[in-house]
Amino acid sequence: MTDTATLERPAVAAAASLELTHALTQTLYREARMLDDENYKAWTEMLAEDLHYHMPGIETRYRRDKTDQVTDLTRMAYYNDSKPEILKRLSRLDTGTAWSEDPATRYTHIVTNIEVEHTEKTDEFRVFSNFYAYRNRNERDEDSLIGNRIDIWRQTGEGFQLVKRRAILKHNVMLSKNLNIYI
Amino acid sequence: MRFERIGREPDYSRYMDLKEGWLDRRIFSDADIYEEELYRIFARSWLFVAHESQIPNSGDFLTTHMGEDAVIVARQPDGSIRVMLNSCPHRGNKVCFADAGNTRRFVCNYHGWGFDTAGELKGMHEEYCYDAGDIDYKNHGLKNVAKVGSYKGLVFATFNGDAPSLEAWLGDFRWYLDMILDNEEGGTEFIGGCIKSVMSANWKFGVENFIGDAYHAGWTHDSGCRSMNDGMPFPPIDMQNSYHASVNGHGWEFGTEGVGDLVLLGRPKVMEYYNKIRPKMAERLGEMRSKIFGSVASASIFPNVSFLPGISTFRQWQPKGPMQFELKTWVIVNKNMPDDIKDEVTKGVMQTFGPGGTFEMDDGENWENCTTVNRGVVTRHERLHYRCGIGRQIEHDTLPGIVYRGQYNDANQRGFYQRWLDMMTHDEFGKMPARPEPQLGNVAETRDLPGLFAL
Repeated sequence: MTDTATLERPAVAAAASLELTHALTQTLYREARMLDDENYKAWTEMLAEDLHYHMPGIETRYRRDKTDQVTDLTRMAYYNDSKPEILKRLSRLDTGTAWSEDPATRYTHIVTNIEVEHTEKTDEFRVFSNFYAYRNRNERDEDSLIGNRIDIWRQTGEGFQLVKRRAILKHNVMLSKNLNIYI
Repeated sequence: MRFERIGREPDYSRYMDLKEGWLDRRIFSDADIYEEELYRIFARSWLFVAHESQIPNSGDFLTTHMGEDAVIVARQPDGSIRVMLNSCPHRGNKVCFADAGNTRRFVCNYHGWGFDTAGELKGMHEEYCYDAGDIDYKNHGLKNVAKVGSYKGLVFATFNGDAPSLEAWLGDFRWYLDMILDNEEGGTEFIGGCIKSVMSANWKFGVENFIGDAYHAGWTHDSGCRSMNDGMPFPPIDMQNSYHASVNGHGWEFGTEGVGDLVLLGRPKVMEYYNKIRPKMAERLGEMRSKIFGSVASASIFPNVSFLPGISTFRQWQPKGPMQFELKTWVIVNKNMPDDIKDEVTKGVMQTFGPGGTFEMDDGENWENCTTVNRGVVTRHERLHYRCGIGRQIEHDTLPGIVYRGQYNDANQRGFYQRWLDMMTHDEFGKMPARPEPQLGNVAETRDLPGLFAL
């Protein structure tokens, strides 16, 4: 993973142009729409082959406790996946027996607070954003997942592809029975 | 210590007939029954509180719950472990607000009462406001539980001074437990972190699912199995060579093919690893246990801990009212595994049995619906069917416990509810029948016992 830009922000990073910021903002909105529509084929086409998709589990710790809960990849995580692993999870939906997705869950992904920066790689950009992912299913099942993301997006011939994502969900106890959602 | 409640002496035996194989649905939602469970089961049982590897150093602590009582589990300077109420004796506030960490003191945020890691009161804000004799430092500490015990890395505690020893509580179930806790030199450890989620379901549905419900797996988890294994359906069940074994409410359902759960994990490197150590495992635990480990299997320790040997999810169903539980999940690995295998296990567990796991996702909705639908005022008076395999009890010359043939069975579930009934009914532990009478006797170590009658 040393070949790609790091998620950690350097002391000084150059903000992207209005044009580039607009292009990546539109990319994030399009991604959210793909996820809302459960159009996972289109979504996974937006994922780079060397993707790392990470959502760590966050414990409640005192401020003085320096345990690295975010970048230590050996700890438990909701997602700590490569692209093949994401595809494996998604293949569950093609079996016809994913009972808890039928009737379908209704999703809305809201993406805000987008900032775009250049990285040490000319074709890769660090994108900060916040998410609000809302789910509702059956009669009155609902939950709200809120947090921050840091991404690395790579410019390719066919638009931008997601190379790295770190999504920090703000829950300690996840207030839902499952996480049948991508963020 | 006595755990009495005033005014109600219901006959809980009317809620089930386990010889006939039915349960009354009210035990899954009734608020009075739930309150009584907190007194009679959670305040009197040995309860899992930690794995020793979570708190290796002096001053390491974690917080958890015993029933609905908040507790701190803390490693002492002498290496022992203490478990105490996370509640200040002054006004009852929490004295520890973190999930885990390291500390010398637990200090209440309200009036600054401070306690050492053993729970002893050491001082407070503006101590001069008390007159001599107002505070008895020795007796105003954090209330420690009655007993703490450890079995091969798993730490248990009980509020009940009359509880039998932990070894006796686990009894012959240790023969089974050693398959996950002691299948390799060095024992086990938990991976860092703990993932918690909430389900609007009765805690018993989680426990009974893991204690014996192999039956649901091929149907509920068809999609999970296929996704982890390139479209392959659930491994076939051999009803002749698979079993349910129940010991005092603990239960383990298992095949003897050795690979089923390892296949479901979907990590070939982990399979390779266990195949490599299996000959040693056979020397350590005997041929039979080396064949059981890794098979399609699931298990629960009474009252509220479950795990999947081979898949390596380890979990606790924490009661939060009659119709809600909090699920705490960890990953258990062998300490001596290479780091890359530990990593493979961790990823595999989170991709199958994390909240976003391909198996876990299909369980929660079933248990929630079982709970809420069973509550209907008419529905609750209809009996539930627990008869599967009721005529298939066998005597087995290797397997301890109450053994039934065929892992599609409700036998362990019946064993769990029998123990539930025993605890809800009997005031004294000594009067509770052993189910079954212990066969291993007082042996300290089951490693030397490849088979019960091969001694």
